[in-house]
Amino acid sequence: MSPHAAIGSEIFRTYALILAAVLAVAGLALAVLRGIFRRDVASVWTTYRSWLVMAPLALAALFAGRAAAIVFFCLLGGLGFKEFARATGLYRDWWMTGAVYLGIAAVGATSFVRHPSGLEPGTGWLGLFVALPVYVVALIFLIPIVRNRTEGQLQNLSLAIVGFAYFGWMFGHLAFLTNATNAYGYLLFLLFATEINDVAAFTFGRLFGRHPFRSRISPKKTWEGAAGALAVSLALPWLLRFSFPPPAGARELLLAGLVVGVGGQLGDLAISVIKRDLGVKDMGAVLPGHGGILDRIDSLIYVAPLFFHLAGFLQPLRGP
Amino acid sequence: MTWTYQPAADLDQPMIERLRRFPREPDMTVYALRSLAALVLRGWLRLYHRLEIAGRERLPDGGSFVLVANHASHLDALCLLAALPLRALHRAFPAAAEDYFFRSVPRTAFAAIVVNALPFGRKTHIRQSLALCRRLLDNPGNILILFPEGTRTATGAVGPFKPGIGLLLAGTDIPALPCRLSGSFEAWPRGRRLPRPRRVRLQIGEPRRFAAFPAGAASADAVAEALRAAVLALPA
Repeated sequence: MSPHAAIGSEIFRTYALILAAVLAVAGLALAVLRGIFRRDVASVWTTYRSWLVMAPLALAALFAGRAAAIVFFCLLGGLGFKEFARATGLYRDWWMTGAVYLGIAAVGATSFVRHPSGLEPGTGWLGLFVALPVYVVALIFLIPIVRNRTEGQLQNLSLAIVGFAYFGWMFGHLAFLTNATNAYGYLLFLLFATEINDVAAFTFGRLFGRHPFRSRISPKKTWEGAAGALAVSLALPWLLRFSFPPPAGARELLLAGLVVGVGGQLGDLAISVIKRDLGVKDMGAVLPGHGGILDRIDSLIYVAPLFFHLAGFLQPLRGP
Repeated sequence: MTWTYQPAADLDQPMIERLRRFPREPDMTVYALRSLAALVLRGWLRLYHRLEIAGRERLPDGGSFVLVANHASHLDALCLLAALPLRALHRAFPAAAEDYFFRSVPRTAFAAIVVNALPFGRKTHIRQSLALCRRLLDNPGNILILFPEGTRTATGAVGPFKPGIGLLLAGTDIPALPCRLSGSFEAWPRGRRLPRPRRVRLQIGEPRRFAAFPAGAASADAVAEALRAAVLALPA
């Protein structure tokens, strides 16, 4: 991955065009709804305006190259964890949060370096990347021992472990995907399809939603929204089949659709479980119309590692 | 076993509002930036302004206290902060005019992140601001930095002290350390865009307590006047 490679990559160029077209069409549709049909689209408009910033930002990070993309994903994961820490109160414990940030930095480092004795092909040290939770959990357990503390420590270390495993490491699989031979295809498909899945769930839910899906976790989510999103997600891999290296047959495309369609909704619900239990509405207020960063990347966290292993199962991720 | 979660009180607020509110929630990033800025500013004050600090040994070791200084330039709060040990940095709060420092985004960011300022409503809600200062001092280990003139001097002479400082300290056992800043007016007087390379000197005086004064408005002026005299009595 590099600016030069991005320009030369047909996949990257196609996605840039698709993204521009989707944003333009969505903007036009909102303008028509507001201007001609006099519908109140103020809240969706705010959400849309944030997309106008986020989508080009993500594209620019991938364009800038592997190192920039790894930093971008680690920063996102770190900011996501920060929101989680602020929402749970863990942020008051600087030792624990510091250990998690260190873990997230290690996610970035293992995604960036090569295997020290060249036992793995290409860039990235997959062996250590996959084993990172072991070391970070060990580090987190070390903290109360070093500080000679017990009170409230089980809560804090549990929160820190969830924080690292979920927001740092699982989300961090996006950072490691930058090492794939087909990095542009996988990453752009993953980001695009997951966000489309979110938008589809929202839209279908708004239009046809009748039956609550998981009423206690997220009262606004409906079976209709989930089904609509799944249908869209199952269709997308076929429409975007150029993203997958040949030979990507029906089985692979179906699995990719399922991972995004099912995983995306589960990711959304997973964050909702956390928010409900904490009694907060959004995890933050950084993104107007979306809430916090976690409210935006929630689906990606769940989908990223599943997709990562699916891609590795289809064919070796990295070439020599 | 029940877990008790304590979400940050400013969870639903965007970053700039989080910086405007007080007391601010502790934030690792902000603390890191502040520590870094403090190192840079201390170096700059020492090199560019040849800042000289005398009387550091008078700073109390534990407990809360107030630094009371004359006010001639924007350098003043930075000089007083530079007199404190780095570990006290995040517990030292210079009171800064809300109407000046907490309106625009860049000034708010600077005041909250670098200076750790307490937004003081000198024009609109003085009593609430004083109550805020009082609460701060009730917690041990906090340092409040006050400029009782309420504004930077226009002439270089030390103006009258406002009675607010008296309302805060009269009848309490909180130590107040008079501080004399000299040279800061020449270095960066009002109306100049950038500071000039002039020497700045900070003299810290002996702690004073005003427990003997009856609390309330009656002795506020007397305390303010006593502190002003104490500041002026220090060598310039």
